[in-house]
Amino acid sequence: MNKLLEQFLLEARDLVEQVEEKLLALEGAPGDTALIGELFRLVHTIKGNSGLLGFEVLVRVAHAAEDLLDGVREGRLEYHSELADDLLSAVDFVRRLLDEIEAKEGIPARFQDEAGELAACLRARLPAAQDDGARLGTVASQVSPATDWSWLMKLSESLREAAFAAGAQSGHLLAVRYVPEPDCFFKGEDPLFTVRNTPGLVGLAISMREPWPGPENLDIYRANLVFNLLSAAPHDDVAEHFRYVPEQVHLYDLPVEALALPTGNLDDGHVHRDFVLNARRRLTKGDRPGLEQAVANMLETVNPDLWVASALRWMRRLLSIQAENAVVEALLIAIEEQQAPDWQALLGERLVADDQSSVQLRQKDEQPPQAPKRQLSEVEEALWTRILDTQRRILNLPVPAAQWAGQLAAITATLSGLYRYQGDERKLAALEEAASRAEREKTFAPLSALLGAPAPSDSVSTPTMVEAEPKPIEPAVMTQAPRPSTGASREGAEVKSDRRDEDGSADKSVKVLKVSQEKVDRLMELIGEMVVAKNALPYLAARAENVFGSRELSREIKAQYTVINRIAQEMQDAIMQVRMLPVGAVLQRFPRLVRDVAKNLEKEVRLVVEGEDTEADKNIIEALADPLIHIVRNSLDHGIEPPEMRQAAGKPREGQLSIRARQEGDRVLIEVTDDGKGIDPEMVKRKAFEKGLIDEARLEAMSDQEAIQLVFLPGFSTAETISDLSGRGVGMDVVRTAMDKMGGAVRLISEKGRGTTVILDLPLSMAVSHVMMVQYAGQNFGVPMDYVVETVRVAAGDIHTFEDRQIAVLRGRVVSLHGLDKLLHLADVPRPNADGEHAVLVVRVGGDTMGLLVDGFSQTIDVILKPLEGPLAGLRGIAGTALLGDGSILLVLNLKELI
Amino acid sequence: MSIKYRKTRAVLADVCTVEEAEGLLEWLTATPKAKVDLAAASHLHMAVLQALLATRPRVVAPPKDEFLARWVMPILEPENQGEVST
Repeated sequence: MNKLLEQFLLEARDLVEQVEEKLLALEGAPGDTALIGELFRLVHTIKGNSGLLGFEVLVRVAHAAEDLLDGVREGRLEYHSELADDLLSAVDFVRRLLDEIEAKEGIPARFQDEAGELAACLRARLPAAQDDGARLGTVASQVSPATDWSWLMKLSESLREAAFAAGAQSGHLLAVRYVPEPDCFFKGEDPLFTVRNTPGLVGLAISMREPWPGPENLDIYRANLVFNLLSAAPHDDVAEHFRYVPEQVHLYDLPVEALALPTGNLDDGHVHRDFVLNARRRLTKGDRPGLEQAVANMLETVNPDLWVASALRWMRRLLSIQAENAVVEALLIAIEEQQAPDWQALLGERLVADDQSSVQLRQKDEQPPQAPKRQLSEVEEALWTRILDTQRRILNLPVPAAQWAGQLAAITATLSGLYRYQGDERKLAALEEAASRAEREKTFAPLSALLGAPAPSDSVSTPTMVEAEPKPIEPAVMTQAPRPSTGASREGAEVKSDRRDEDGSADKSVKVLKVSQEKVDRLMELIGEMVVAKNALPYLAARAENVFGSRELSREIKAQYTVINRIAQEMQDAIMQVRMLPVGAVLQRFPRLVRDVAKNLEKEVRLVVEGEDTEADKNIIEALADPLIHIVRNSLDHGIEPPEMRQAAGKPREGQLSIRARQEGDRVLIEVTDDGKGIDPEMVKRKAFEKGLIDEARLEAMSDQEAIQLVFLPGFSTAETISDLSGRGVGMDVVRTAMDKMGGAVRLISEKGRGTTVILDLPLSMAVSHVMMVQYAGQNFGVPMDYVVETVRVAAGDIHTFEDRQIAVLRGRVVSLHGLDKLLHLADVPRPNADGEHAVLVVRVGGDTMGLLVDGFSQTIDVILKPLEGPLAGLRGIAGTALLGDGSILLVLNLKELI
Repeated sequence: MSIKYRKTRAVLADVCTVEEAEGLLEWLTATPKAKVDLAAASHLHMAVLQALLATRPRVVAPPKDEFLARWVMPILEPENQGEVST
C-alpha cells in the first residue's frame, strides 16, 4: 500500500472515531454550537481527504452528512436522536469503506448503491425547500448539450486514432462535456482530477468558458475551464464516475466514425479525382478489398503531411472496421471537396434513431461465450491475492542459473493451479503461452507481464525490486500471519505512544508518532529472536568448559551473556511499553453500542466508564473487545430491566451500567457492573438441570455463588426468549473460552434483584510466557506456570487404579492422575526413577486439581510463545511452540484442551 | 510545497494543490519572462492549471506524467492560445 493511502487510512479512522464521539456527545447537549462546528469541520476534512484520493463513494456520503450538519449548524434543522441514528449509520458505513480500502486499496463498485441510499436518506432529512436534495441521482444535467463535435479537431490525428481504435474495440465511444461550476474549488473538488480518473479515458480537450480577464480582475479560484472528453468505458461506468457532479456534465454517444477528421496541408484536390472515381466504383460494386488496395497504393504516393494523406489514412481505418458505404462515401466527397465531412449532420441523427438498439446489440456481441468462472469467497480471494503477490515477488528475485528452470516450473504450476481452480480458461491459455515463451526466451518477463508485475530488469540498469525492498528475505514462518478481521484489530492498527488530549484539539503539535502495527510487530519478533539467540550463550559456555576444557573462556562468555541478557531484557521492556494500549481503545466504542442496544430494547441506560487509561498489551486489548461486547450485551439484554419494571421495583428508571478498568500487579482487572435484576440462582440451577448439565446430587449440594457460575457452561442460556442480541446459547462460555485463550479468568458475582458484576482478570502482556519444562519420552514439554501448583514424587505403590482411572492421595486430598502418554496418545509409559517414584506435576485446570504423570522435571524458563500456524493451527492440545537456546523446539501444552 | 521558485523559473513537482495556485499566479504575474518546469509534476490541480493558462508562461520542461503530457500539455503550447468554448 502506498504511503499516501496508509496515511489517509490512519487519519480517516481517527477522524471517524472523533465524529462518532462528538455525535454521541451532541445528543446529550443538542444546542452546543461549538460541538456542531467541530463536527462539521471533521466531516469536511474526511470529505476533502477522500476526494483527494478519488474515493467518490466516501465523498458522497460525507458530503450528504456535511450538508445535514450544515443545516443543523444554521438552525434549519433540529438535532434529534433519529438524525443521530442516520449519521451514526453513515459513520458505520464509512468505517466499512475504510476496511475495504485497507483490504483492497479501493472501493468495490457494489458500495455505490448503498452510498446512494444513505446519502438520499440523509438528505431527505433536510428541509424540502433545500435544493440540495435535488443534487442527487436523477438530476437533470444543467450543461447544455455540446453544440457541435468540432472540439474533436483539437485532438491530433494520432490521439484520435488511438481513441478510434479503443472505440472500435469496445464497440462504442462516449463523449462527456464537463463544465465545472465556477465555485467548485470551494467544495473541495478538483475537476481535472476527476477528468484524469475517468474510466476508459481516450480523449480530452480543454477549453476556456470565458476569455481570461486581465490580471487585476482574474480570480484564479473561479473555475473557467470546459472539458470535452472521450471514454471507451461503458456508459454506466462513466455516469457513475461523474455521479457526484451530474448537473455539470452532459454525456452523449459518439460514433467512432466521427473521429475521421482529416488534418494537414491542403493541396490541389483535382489531382485525386481519378482516385475518387475509382474508389467510388469499387465501393458501389462492393469490392472492399480492391478499395483497400487502392487506398494503400494512393497512400504510398502522397506526402504523409498532406491533408489528403490524412483523409486516406482515415479511410483505411474506416474500412478496417467495416464502416457503412455512406460513411466511406462521405469521406470520398470530403476528398473531392477538400473539406472535412460534417459527421454530426451525417451520423448524429442516425445515432438518435437507433441509439438504444445498436448499443445493446453491440454489447451483446462483445462478450465472447465463456465457461462460468468460479466466484471466489472473501477468504479465498485474500489467499489468492497473497499467492499472486508472492509469485510476483519471486519473479523479481535474482535466480541462480541452475535453479532457473525449476523456478519457472514451480511458478507455472502454482499459477495454473490457481486459474484451474477458478475455471478461468482464458487465463490458463495465456499462462501456457507465457510459460512456453519464457522457456524459449529464458526470461520471466512474459510471466511478469501476465501477472502485471514490473518486468525484472538486469541488476545494473535500474535498481531491482530486491534492492528497493527493505525487507530481507525471510523464512516462511516469519511472514505475516493474516490479520484477524475482528473489529478489534482496527483500533489496534495504530499504536499510540501518547494519548489524545481530552478535548480532542488535534491542532496542537503533539509529539506522537503514528507507527503502523506491522513495524512494531516486526521489532517484537526481532527481539524475540534476540532473546532466543542470547539463550544459546550459556550452552556455548558449557561447551567451552566441557568439550574444549577452557574454563576461562567459559567464564568470559558467561560475563558477556550477563550484559547481553540485561540489554535484551531492557529492550523487551521498552518494546512492551510501545505495545501498551490504554483500555480506552476498546472502551470508546461502548457509548455507541450501549446507546444503540438500549434504544433497540427500549430501556434507559446510563453508561459509566472508569479507568480508560489503564494500559495493557495491544494483543490483550484487542482480544478483550469481543468478550466485553458479549458481557455488555448480556447486561443490557438480561440484566437491566425495562423502565416500568425498574420503577415498580423501586429503582430509578434509568439503569446504570459501569465498566471499570484497573491494574493490579501484573494483571488488569475489568469489571462490568449493572444494577439490573441479577441472576436467580434457583433458576440457573433448574435450567442447568433441565438441560442435563448437572445431576441431581450436585443440584442439591450447590451454593448460590456456585450455581451462578453455571452460566459459564457451554450451551447454557438464561434468556427466556431468544432475542436479537443474546440468548442463543452462545453466551458466557464464549467469554470464558476467550479469557482462557489469553491466560485470563472470568468471575461472576450476582445478587438477585440488585445486579450483576462480571470481572475479567487478564495478564498485562502475553508476549512472554513463563513455562515449566517437564521431561517425557525423551523430550521436553512446556506447561504454563499459571497452571502449575507443585511438583511431587509419588511412590508407585501409592498410585491406585480405580475404574480405569489412576488416583493418588496428596496432602489429604484425592487427586486424579493423568499419564502424559494417555493425553498425547503416545506409547511411552511414564517411567519412575531409580527409587520407584513417579514424577507428578500437580496442576489446577478450570478449578480442578489433578496430577500429570511425567518422566521428570526440568527448569522453568521465559519463552516467547508462537502459536501454531497454517495446517497445524487446528491442532488441539498444543498452545504453541517456543525456540530454546540450544535450537530445539519446545511444545507448550494446552492443558485445558488436553484434559 | 511542491512548487519551488527560482529566479525566473518555477519548478512544479508532485501534486500541486489548490492552495498553491494563488502563489503561483502571483509569481507568474510579478515575474517577467517567467518560465515553468513541469517535468516532475504528477498532477496539477485545476486551479493551478488555470494560473498557467491565464498567464501562459513558457514551459521549459514538459511534464513526464502521461496524462499531463498527452492531454494537458497541448493547450499550454504557445501556438495554442486556448480557445473559448462555444
